[in-house]
Amino acid sequence: MASSRIEELKRQKKMEVSKKRNQIPYAILLTIAVLIIYLIITKYQITFGNYWVIGILLGITIQRSRFCFVASVRDPIMVGSTSLLKAILLAFIISTIGFFIIQYNAIASNPDIRIQEIPGQFSPVGIHTAIGAVLFGIGMVMAGGCVSGTLTRLGEGYAINLVVLVGFIIGSILGTKHFSFWDKLLISNAEAIYIPEYLGLFPTLILQLALLCVLYYIAHWYDKKSNIMASTM
Amino acid sequence: MAEYKLDCLHEVCPIPLLKALKSLEKMEIGDILIMHTDHNCSIANVVEWTKKQGHYIDYIEIAEGEWEIYIEKAR
Repeated sequence: MASSRIEELKRQKKMEVSKKRNQIPYAILLTIAVLIIYLIITKYQITFGNYWVIGILLGITIQRSRFCFVASVRDPIMVGSTSLLKAILLAFIISTIGFFIIQYNAIASNPDIRIQEIPGQFSPVGIHTAIGAVLFGIGMVMAGGCVSGTLTRLGEGYAINLVVLVGFIIGSILGTKHFSFWDKLLISNAEAIYIPEYLGLFPTLILQLALLCVLYYIAHWYDKKSNIMASTM
Repeated sequence: MAEYKLDCLHEVCPIPLLKALKSLEKMEIGDILIMHTDHNCSIANVVEWTKKQGHYIDYIEIAEGEWEIYIEKAR
């Protein structure tokens, strides 16, 4: 959607702007470098190569889609837009199905499996989760990027995120140093809850998918509703 | 039919969007806002927000990683 005056401005600017440098040679050089590193690290251990490829694919996805965890939780409140929140919910839905398949296979192949051995991260949930979430949330909104966002923008050449990265490293080191304190105070008292233990794997999948779909529809409805509110402003 | 310039270089998300929002409030219908930004998230969130508000918008990359966003206030 553009008016004729915007088209005119754009045409003027296009003539002023000198032709962009061709970036294809850099892309070829980088691809070759990536392949060489892949070959070198797979020699040490095959899983390193997998991590390398998955990391690069994730990075490309985050950069090209401007996927941003900060904006996904901030924009609904600030400007009433939930498109990124919906993207996050979709990601949750996909990973729920993916983890269901992985855990189902693990349990099917070994019915006597202990819960701690099921693939996935089982962490105790409690008041420390809320404290950590609030601290991390304040930090990421002020810094304008979560961990993945900071690294992506730094890679793009957005130098402000270098400051964020330094803060991020300091915070991680302090967190590691003080972890035993928090562990003694809160985490060791809390319990890791694995819902399929109580409900069964399949009902849990349905429940979680239903919950995520409801959240998705609420987000969709909120997006439409906030639009109407803004137009009467 | 005035033109307003908005310098958003080195501003982190969401400052460009908030600046655009404030300037648009002050502008008259038909005025054009020219935003200069180097934050690629602005392309996504400013464009989405402006379209939702019903204003005219388009953008152009004027250098590697630098964009100009044109917004015409429509209502």
